[in-house]
Amino acid sequence: MKRLINLRPSRSTGILLGLLPFVVLLVVYLAGSQARLADNPNDKLLPAFSSLGDAVERMALEPSKRSGDILLWTDTAASLQRLGLGVGISALIGLVFGVALGTVPYLRAGLSPLVSSLSLIPPLALLPILFIVFGLGELSKVVLIVFGVAPFIIRDLQQRAQELPAELLVKAQTLGASTWQIILRVVVPQLLPRLLDAVRLSLGAAWLFLIAAEAIAATDGLGYRIFLVRRYLAMDVVLPYVVWITLLAYLTDLLLRIASRRAFRWYHQLNGEGN
Amino acid sequence: MARIAFNNVWKEYGDQVVLERLNLTVGDGEFCTVVGASGCGKTTFLRMLLGQESPTRGRILLDGEPLPAEPGRDRGIVFQRYSVFPHLTVLNNVLLGLELKDAPLTARLFGRARRQARDKAIQMLDAVGLGQALDKYPSALSGGMQQRLALAQSLVMEPRILLLDEPFGALDPGIRSDMHRLVLDLWRKLGLTVFMITHDLEEGFYLGTRLLVFDKLRVDPQAPGAYGASITYDLPVGATERRLYEDIRDDVRATPRALAAAVDAAG
Amino acid sequence: MPVTTPRTAHWARFFTLFAGVLLASSLFSGAALAKDKFRVAWSIYVGWMPWGYGEQAGIVKKWGDKYGIDIEVVQINDYIESINQYTAGAFDACVMTNMDALTIPAAGGVDSTALIVGDFSNGNDGIVLKDKSTLADIKGQSVNLVELSVSHYLLARALDSIGASEQDLTVVNTSDADMVAAYASPDVTAVVTWNPLLSEILAMPNANKVFDSSRIPGEIIDMLVVNSDTLKANPKLGKALTGAWFEIMATMSKDDAAGIAARTEMAKASGTDMAGYDAQLATTKMFYNAADAVAFTQSADLVQTMAHVAKFSFDHGLLGEGAADAGFIGMAFPGGKTLGDGANTKLRFDATYMQLAADGKL
Repeated sequence: MKRLINLRPSRSTGILLGLLPFVVLLVVYLAGSQARLADNPNDKLLPAFSSLGDAVERMALEPSKRSGDILLWTDTAASLQRLGLGVGISALIGLVFGVALGTVPYLRAGLSPLVSSLSLIPPLALLPILFIVFGLGELSKVVLIVFGVAPFIIRDLQQRAQELPAELLVKAQTLGASTWQIILRVVVPQLLPRLLDAVRLSLGAAWLFLIAAEAIAATDGLGYRIFLVRRYLAMDVVLPYVVWITLLAYLTDLLLRIASRRAFRWYHQLNGEGN
Repeated sequence: MARIAFNNVWKEYGDQVVLERLNLTVGDGEFCTVVGASGCGKTTFLRMLLGQESPTRGRILLDGEPLPAEPGRDRGIVFQRYSVFPHLTVLNNVLLGLELKDAPLTARLFGRARRQARDKAIQMLDAVGLGQALDKYPSALSGGMQQRLALAQSLVMEPRILLLDEPFGALDPGIRSDMHRLVLDLWRKLGLTVFMITHDLEEGFYLGTRLLVFDKLRVDPQAPGAYGASITYDLPVGATERRLYEDIRDDVRATPRALAAAVDAAG
Repeated sequence: MPVTTPRTAHWARFFTLFAGVLLASSLFSGAALAKDKFRVAWSIYVGWMPWGYGEQAGIVKKWGDKYGIDIEVVQINDYIESINQYTAGAFDACVMTNMDALTIPAAGGVDSTALIVGDFSNGNDGIVLKDKSTLADIKGQSVNLVELSVSHYLLARALDSIGASEQDLTVVNTSDADMVAAYASPDVTAVVTWNPLLSEILAMPNANKVFDSSRIPGEIIDMLVVNSDTLKANPKLGKALTGAWFEIMATMSKDDAAGIAARTEMAKASGTDMAGYDAQLATTKMFYNAADAVAFTQSADLVQTMAHVAKFSFDHGLLGEGAADAGFIGMAFPGGKTLGDGANTKLRFDATYMQLAADGKL
C-alpha cells in the first residue's frame, strides 16, 4: 500500500471530490430547510428553494413596487460603480506612488514611513472621520475602499519595483536612459502585470470595505440590501445576494486574469505559464 | 582615442580593503580579459568602470577626464543574467536605446525616425544572428540567444567601451565558443575597447589582446580584509607559454585557499 | 460617553447570525414542550435595563425558584440579532418593540405573545433638522435613519400628520452606531433617531427637534415577547417573569435608597449615570403599576396603533411577499378583539398574567 501522500486522484475523481462538499452542503441545507418548514411553514431562516427562486425572480426581474427599479440591477450597478472607482483610484495611486517610492531613494526615504503607518490604520476605524470629512454620500464609500486598498498596492508595487534586477536598471542607464525614461520604459511596463496581480489580491478586501460602507449609510447597493432585509430576517433575499456577490467576485477575478494574459504575454511566459 | 587610466586607485569598505594600488592604462581598441579568484575585486573593478562605484582613493580617467560617476551611453554592458528587458520583444529591446536617445520625453519614436531606427536595429540583429526572431520575447530565447540580444542591444548604441561581466558563464561549452567567435568578430569590426571578466582562465588566455590577473599579494591571517587585491599579472596574450598559464592558475587557486585557512585560523 | 447600540443592529455581528443560528441553536427547532429551563434574551435600552438588574439582583432567580423553573437571562449586544435568535428558536422570550414583534417573529411564522407591556416611548424617539425648525421643512431633504426601524415608523407617522409622504424625501439607511458622527458631517441635514443618541445630537449647535414620539403616545411600545406555544405549555414561565418584572418595577419606581440603588445600577449598565438615565426615563412612559399596563393593553387604542403599524409594515414589504394586504398577519387582543386574518394569528397581546400581578395573585 502506498503512502497517503503518494496517492493521487484521477482527473474525474478529482472533479467529483471537489463537487462533493457542495453537494453535502446543499443536502444539509435542504434537510434543515424542510425540517424547519414542516414545523413552521412561514419560517424565514432557511427558506425552501422555491421561495429563494421567487425572491430571485422578484429582485432580478420585476420592478420594485416602491421605486419602479429592478432592485438587483440597481444594487449591482451602484456597488460595482463604487467598487470600480475605489479599486481603480487605488490602482492609480498604487502605481504612481509604488513606482516613485520603488525607484527614487529620496522619495522612499521621505514617504515610506508615512505609507507604512497609513497601511497599519484599520480603515473601518476611520469611518466616523471619513463621514465627517467626506459626508455620507458616494465619496466616503469610495474613499474607504481607497484607504483600505491603496496602501497595500503601494507597498506591494514598491516591493516589486525594488525587486527588479539591478542589472536591468544599469543596463538602461548604459543605453542613456534618464530617470524619467527608466520609469516610463523599464519600471512601469514591468510593474503593470504585477499591478493587476495586486489588484486581484486586494479585491476581497475591497468588497469587505464596500459592504461595510453600504451597511452603514446608503440608499442602494448590494451590502445595503442585505443589511436592510436582514432587519426582517428575509433570508430568501440575503442568500441569493450572497451567492451573487460571490459570483461577481469570481467573475471580476477571472476577467482580470484573462486581461493580464492578453495584455502581458511576456509576463506569463516568464512565469512559465505558457501561452 | 579612448584611453582609460587608473592612477593608484583604492577601493575600501570601512576597514575592508578590496582593491589597492591599482595602476593601469588601457589604450583604444584593446581587448582586456580580467581573471582572478572570487573575492579578488574583479566585480568591483567592473563596477568602477561602469560608474556604479567610485574609488576611495586615486582617480580613473577616460581620455584624461574623470570618469562620470554613473553609468552612461559611452560604456555598454552585458551581464551574465538580466541583461535584456523581458517585457520587450527582440526588436524593441534593440530599438529601446535609439528611442531613448532621440525622444527624451516620450522615449518613443514615430514615423520616419522610427523606420530609420528600426532599420538600424534590424541590421544589428542580423549581425548577431537574431534576424529571424524579431518578434519573440526574450523568455522564448535560449541562453545563448539572449546574450546575443544583449550584445546587439549594447552595440547598437555604438559605445566606446564594452564591458562584459562573465557573459558566457551560464552557457554550454559549444555555444560558448560560438559566442567567442561572435565577440571577437564584432570587436574587430567595430574597433571597440573591451573589458571582459571571466572566471574561466583559459577563456581569458586565448580571447583578446591582454590578460589582467587580480590577486592578493599579501594575506594577513589575523585580518583577511586588511589587504586588497591588485593586478598581479598584466600580459599580452599570444606571447605566453604553457608554464606561465599553469603558474597563474595555481596562484589564482591558492588565494582562496589561503583566505579560507586564514578565516579558519581566526575563527 | 459610549454610545450604546440598542434596538438595532451592528453590522459586524451579522455573520454571527449564521454561525450562531445554523450551528448552535440547531437547524431543527423542536416543538414546544413542558420543560423547566428557559432562556430570555434582552438588549440594552432604557426600558429593558430592569431585566439586567433583575438578573443581577437575583429577583428573576427568586421568582423562578418560586415556580420551580430555571430562567436564564442573557444580554445580547445586538438588538436585531437577539430577535433573530428568538425567531430561530434559540430563546423562549425576548424584549422587542411592538413593530419588530409583528415584522420579525410574527411575520416569520413564530406565534408570539406580548406577555409584559413595559413602557411606551414618550419623546424618546425624535426627528431632528439642522438649521430648520418646522417639520414641513423636511420635504425634499435626505433623511438619515435606521431604515425599517421604529424611527422609520415615527417618520411615516410624522409625515401623515402634515399630509406628506415618503415620496417627498429621500431615506438614507444609516447605522445607529454612526448616527451621531453622521449628523456632524455637513451634508447630513435631517435625522430620525432615539435616545441616548437623540439627546447627543440635540446638544449640537443648530439641531432642532421638530417631532417626537410624545406626539404619537402609546404607538412605540417596548415589550417582553414569549413564544406562544411555550407559554401555553408552561404557564409558570409567564407567572415567574411577570412576577419578577413588577417586583423590579416596584423597587425602581421609588425614590428611597433601594430605588436609587437600582436605578444607579441600570444607569451604569447602560453606560451613563443616574442623571442621564433619569433623563431617558423622563421621556419613557414606564408602566410601574401592573394595573396601568393592563389598562393600556386592554384599550381600543392599542388595536388602532397596531393597525397603523401593520399598514406601515405592509407598505414597506416587511410582512413578506406572500402578504396580500396589511391584514395578512392576524393579531389578537384582550377581550376577543382581533385584527387581520384570524386564521393566521401570530401576534397576541395578552393581559392575563399582568392582571394576575395587578391582583396580587402571583
